Amino acid sequence: MAARTFSVRAPTPMPGWGLSFGIMLTMLSVVVLIPMAVLLWRGFVGFGAAGMWEVVNRPRVWNALELSFRAALIASLFNLVFGVLLAWVLVRYRFPGKRIVDAAVDLPFALPTAVAGIALTAIYAPNGMFGSALMQSFGLRVAYTEIGIWIALIFVGLPFVVRTVQPVIEEIDRETEEASATLGASRLRTLTHVILPMLAPAALTGFALALARSVGEYGSVIFIAGNLPNVTEIAPLLIVIRLEEFDYDGAVAIAIAMLVISFALLLAINLIQIWSRRRMGAA
Amino acid sequence: MNIDIEEISKDFGTTAALHPVSLSIPSGTLVALLGPSGSGKTTLLRILGGLEFPTAGRVLFDASDATGLSVQERRAGFVFQSYALFRHMTVFDNIAYGLRARPRRSRPGGPEIARRVNRLLSLIKLPDIGARYPSQLSGGQRQRVALARALAIEPRMLLLDEPFGALDAKVRRELRQGLRDIHDTTGLTTVFVTHDQEEAMQLADLVVVMSMGRIEQVGRPEDIRARPGTEFVREFISA
Amino acid sequence: MTDTPAIPARPRPFRPATTEPALVKWSLIGLCLAVLTVLLFAPLYAVFDEALRRGWAFALASLSEPDAQSAIRLTLLVAAITVPLNAAFGIAAAWAITKFDWRGKAWVITFIDLPFSISPVVAGLLFILMFGANSALGMWLVANGLPVVFAVPGIVLATMFITFPFVARELIPVMLEQGRAEEEAALTLGASGWRTFLTVTLPNIRWALLYGVLLCNARAMGEFGAVAVVSGKIRGQTTTMPLMIEMFYNEYLSVAAFTMAGVLALLALVTLTLKSALEWRYADQLAATHRH
Repeated sequence: MAARTFSVRAPTPMPGWGLSFGIMLTMLSVVVLIPMAVLLWRGFVGFGAAGMWEVVNRPRVWNALELSFRAALIASLFNLVFGVLLAWVLVRYRFPGKRIVDAAVDLPFALPTAVAGIALTAIYAPNGMFGSALMQSFGLRVAYTEIGIWIALIFVGLPFVVRTVQPVIEEIDRETEEASATLGASRLRTLTHVILPMLAPAALTGFALALARSVGEYGSVIFIAGNLPNVTEIAPLLIVIRLEEFDYDGAVAIAIAMLVISFALLLAINLIQIWSRRRMGAA
Repeated sequence: MNIDIEEISKDFGTTAALHPVSLSIPSGTLVALLGPSGSGKTTLLRILGGLEFPTAGRVLFDASDATGLSVQERRAGFVFQSYALFRHMTVFDNIAYGLRARPRRSRPGGPEIARRVNRLLSLIKLPDIGARYPSQLSGGQRQRVALARALAIEPRMLLLDEPFGALDAKVRRELRQGLRDIHDTTGLTTVFVTHDQEEAMQLADLVVVMSMGRIEQVGRPEDIRARPGTEFVREFISA
Repeated sequence: MTDTPAIPARPRPFRPATTEPALVKWSLIGLCLAVLTVLLFAPLYAVFDEALRRGWAFALASLSEPDAQSAIRLTLLVAAITVPLNAAFGIAAAWAITKFDWRGKAWVITFIDLPFSISPVVAGLLFILMFGANSALGMWLVANGLPVVFAVPGIVLATMFITFPFVARELIPVMLEQGRAEEEAALTLGASGWRTFLTVTLPNIRWALLYGVLLCNARAMGEFGAVAVVSGKIRGQTTTMPLMIEMFYNEYLSVAAFTMAGVLALLALVTLTLKSALEWRYADQLAATHRH
């Protein structure tokens, strides 16, 4: 057997390897990899883990991190449930205006966050069209409270679950649903025991995407949040505040704390994914 | 159970899938609905199973009108062409599904469900696959699991849509005998849809030849072979 | 056997086994429309309502102010640099990833996706750390007359980071699905590499490319957090349209803020319209997840 030379790439007559790989690696390095490495270097080597822990382990920072992750989880859970429901409605039902509704689901992807921020604030402020109604009927304040943050994050994360679940619903084999009915299951049982488990992996993917997006969200939140330290001050805002004080180490520490928690969460979701795929035998 | 089909017709929009057809199936018979695609045989089967509603006509189960019964109420064991196994459930859970879906008062307990599922697994001669997922089975095994799942609800009849359609010739022959054996053991009135005349002639007690939404001929295989009723039947069975 | 039926035939409407009762169906539709109204349609309406509170003339006048004009120009400039660069990256990355087999591909794809899960504020912070006044590189660049932070290059870099995955993510699945056979055929017919790309690959991916560019552009023009951090928000110099909205808003210039927001909202609506048109018209040439 001839000795094979070690190579990163399998041989192929396809042209353009050097050029395409070169452009990709250069740009990826300049825009993503080197800046990320600088952040991590600055944090773990320059500032040190102990120093970062000291920054993070203060009530104001801790409260901001807790708020960011709690609000993101609440908003993403809402989007998980509502997203599956909306995807179902958009795939299975016919109703007037369906195409417009379907297109509008992507509005949060297309609308700049600052626009969403001031618009949501305008309607949920105590003198806004929904804000005043909620205030008068239920005594509920939305803008400048944590609920306002939830609303902004629900807005931002709305399309993710819908868009991941929609294609899966489209591909459900009708015979599977019919089989459940012929075995005596009610429609509700078919939905909860047969269809929902089939949607779960995609829904979870959408949930993870929405969570990742809303944890770090800044533009749509700061207008509606009120930004009161320890109460409605989100972690990204605290990074901005540290930067404005030229406290770079403080900003780096909070940023790395956010990254660590985010990646832990996403890793957990990924593990659940792998487990559920394996359960289904991943055909 | 006797099944009587009285002047059943079915329109999809402006096209008629079934012209009024009538058919009597004596209890315990193994019936083949034989015909080319578009002959209305699957529509008729789905009407029996409660998956389609006829435009006109009645279906009688043991002389009582079953036309208005929902799918759930019909208790027809239905085996789908794609088998439609629940891929997120083990074989055991697939077979137990119908028992667990029963209302509480008629639902058997856990040990009883396990006993019945295991009995069905031995009936289909696959006693050890309860813990597997459908994706880990061969085509023939899936078909048999689908059959066991349909039998688990103690059906009043067995309906099969092209049960051997997706299988290769060798497995097909084995499973044909398997279906015959299960039919003879359970004594259930069984209706299956096929476009394969050899399959119909070999397996069924009664063959119903269909074409263009009409029944061309009903008879025992040997009678149909000996005396084809129409030109269509003659051509179709000699193909 | 008696003639009396054991089970009475009930004259109730037949419902196919794969559908829900009409009442449930319409309740769910109603619920979805209500939530979308409260969350999506109402804010969109509010933008235009607030912008036109004092009439068209007043709103349009706020756009012709020098600060507003310079913000619009800067946003267009940033998009004009960022989008082509990211499109070039997306095409190169998709070509390298789908036309060749190599080790470490999965890692590279993960890194390309990384910006999706990083806060825009952290993205801004990255470039402050690299090019800011506290870094050697940053001081050297300022000394040589090429400041990055609090200047246009920083805004471009931060925007590029945020929009980095858009084009690549759109092209990779499409090119994977299309395979390599057509390119290989062109090569056997004697076409050069460039000719193969321009005459075979590009026509196959043009709608997917446009789709990615569309989303990339919308995000590039609307980015707020990352740009807010690196720009220094110098009025008339490093203030993009989203930053201008914040400035107007904080100065209680509500009509000016919402008018600028209205311009960006219109851009979003145009983006959505074009995007939907692509999904309906060229579904087969887009990534599978966009097909309806």
